[in-house]
Amino acid sequence: MKLLIVEDEKALSDSISSYLEQESFVCDQAETYMGALAKIEQYDYDCILLDINLQDGNGLELLKELKSNHKGDGVLIISARNSLEDKVSGLKLGADDYLPKPFHLSELGARVAAIIRRRHSAGSNFIRLADILIDIQARAVMVDSRPLDLTRKEYQLLLYFAYNKGRVVSKNAIAEHLWGDDTGAMDNYDFIYTHIKNLRRKLVEAGAGDYIQSVYGMGYKLQVP
Amino acid sequence: MKLFTHYSRINFLASILALALGSVSYYFIIRTVLIHQLDDTLKVEEAEILNYVRLKDQLPEPANYRDQQIAFEPADKAVERQFQHISRRDPYRNNERGPFRQLLFPVSAGGRVYTVSVRKSEVETEEMLQWIMFVTAGMILLLLGILFLANRLLIRRLWQPFYQTLEALKKFNLTNREPLHHAPTSIREFQDLQRVVDHMTGTIRKDYEMLKEFADNASHEMQTPLAIINSKLDLMIQDQGLEERHLRQLQAMYDAVSRMRQLNQSLLLLTKIENHQFVQAGPVALDTLISEKLVQLEDLIQDKHLTLRVGLQPCLVQMNAYLSDILLSNLLVNAIRHNEEKGAINIQLGPHELRISNTGVPLPFDPASIFDRFTKSSQSEGTGLGLAIVRQICDNYGFSLSYVNGDGWHTIRIGFTPEYHG
Repeated sequence: MKLLIVEDEKALSDSISSYLEQESFVCDQAETYMGALAKIEQYDYDCILLDINLQDGNGLELLKELKSNHKGDGVLIISARNSLEDKVSGLKLGADDYLPKPFHLSELGARVAAIIRRRHSAGSNFIRLADILIDIQARAVMVDSRPLDLTRKEYQLLLYFAYNKGRVVSKNAIAEHLWGDDTGAMDNYDFIYTHIKNLRRKLVEAGAGDYIQSVYGMGYKLQVP
Repeated sequence: MKLFTHYSRINFLASILALALGSVSYYFIIRTVLIHQLDDTLKVEEAEILNYVRLKDQLPEPANYRDQQIAFEPADKAVERQFQHISRRDPYRNNERGPFRQLLFPVSAGGRVYTVSVRKSEVETEEMLQWIMFVTAGMILLLLGILFLANRLLIRRLWQPFYQTLEALKKFNLTNREPLHHAPTSIREFQDLQRVVDHMTGTIRKDYEMLKEFADNASHEMQTPLAIINSKLDLMIQDQGLEERHLRQLQAMYDAVSRMRQLNQSLLLLTKIENHQFVQAGPVALDTLISEKLVQLEDLIQDKHLTLRVGLQPCLVQMNAYLSDILLSNLLVNAIRHNEEKGAINIQLGPHELRISNTGVPLPFDPASIFDRFTKSSQSEGTGLGLAIVRQICDNYGFSLSYVNGDGWHTIRIGFTPEYHG
């Protein structure tokens, strides 16, 4: 899987790149409009992470360019301007998703994975984690071919971990992903713990391994052998 | 007191004073002139009598006419010549007493000294004077009346531009970008006033815009550094070599970044609402929306073991869907966040009002400032902007918003105005 990160902040671009490379993505980086244009013309990417505010141009123009060339690349817009207009015009121009800055890398990872999954039509409706199989189309989970009954939140939690497998996901990121931005600064995150505990219990009871580990109370990590 | 009342009062008093003084002096002048004329006639008579006596050395026949009476009386010595006002019966006027002007002078005829009195009734003069005064008084009243009306109309019209500017200033609203509407005027003072007012409001608006733009830009510019910090934290926690004490510090940093981000987003949202950037509106079913929100927030409510009492009647409100979502989110999260363990929340939605009450410790700040920006208790992890956003949304739509507390309950009430009902 090949990604292009178009972002003029080198530090942020580097973070994104090293986070996603852990998930066997190959990341190209471009810091300018012209640089991005050259790379887009030369290569095909599975997903392009596009910052709207570039020093030498507007990311939306790049998006137009991309769509007029009938490129099949998926596009995720990342923008510091969390404005509805940018979002609407970006999605209208054919972007797949929109993520306002600042964001958690785990959230970005989940969004990128979702875009790539949607773009690859065949056989991509399933995610396999050792003996766990997630059917995204049907929103169902099976352990050793036996269906597992999960609540909506537990399912979302498992999917989020699956998209970020092998990496530590912070509690803040989980709270914001599942309960919305309002909860990002709640006094405590005990409610997350309850859901994770239930998910782990259900998985273990169904005969799956206990893949979700707590990382010193600051986050969780799904590690499959 | 209104300008016109004030002005006409002074104007009236001055006019009356001037006219009163004028009338009094007018009366005396006319009177003096008329008496002088009377005296002239008496002097003519005197001259005739003296002439007669000098020629004939005897008194003429005393002659009494209707308006002039002449009498001769022997005297011991020559009387001093003088004019007199006297009052006596007038045989020509039913013997009523009346004022007379009389000239006394001595005359010698046939070796004897006489006192001659020539009298003329002053009644006619008095009558004439009265008529003159009547006419004058009528004129004065007429003058005052016309002056009053003229002032009234003139002042109204003259000050029209002033009143219009005043009205425009009363309606002046910082967030409204429409220029002030002035009445056209050719009066220099008013033109100056309008220019100054325009300049002043323009400056205020520009400063306000700049301040807002600054807050907006500052918030936006902060997003990228925050994104960098957040992403570096996300990478750092992947490090296997970290120990628990490091992670605890990282957690604190995460929380701080989260708060910062929320603060930023709330500020930006507030500016956008203030700028009326959410124009699209449609009917929103608040009852449905509240039920949805409560499902979303279920975990937070259970986590604090809160008892929930909900009474929802159908309530359609005409507003922007995104803002209605923000409004309810903020109110509900507020009621949860500032609640106590095992507390309660009571949500009552009627066709025209929404009441959200929650238990909790008394406010550590002045309740009147609860909807102000950055009003919050020092322990609160919130941004202090949630209720400020609620107020801004209510202001935009003309909803009434109030807060009351008592018996350990905090209640926020929103009244929906009929015009916003779908």
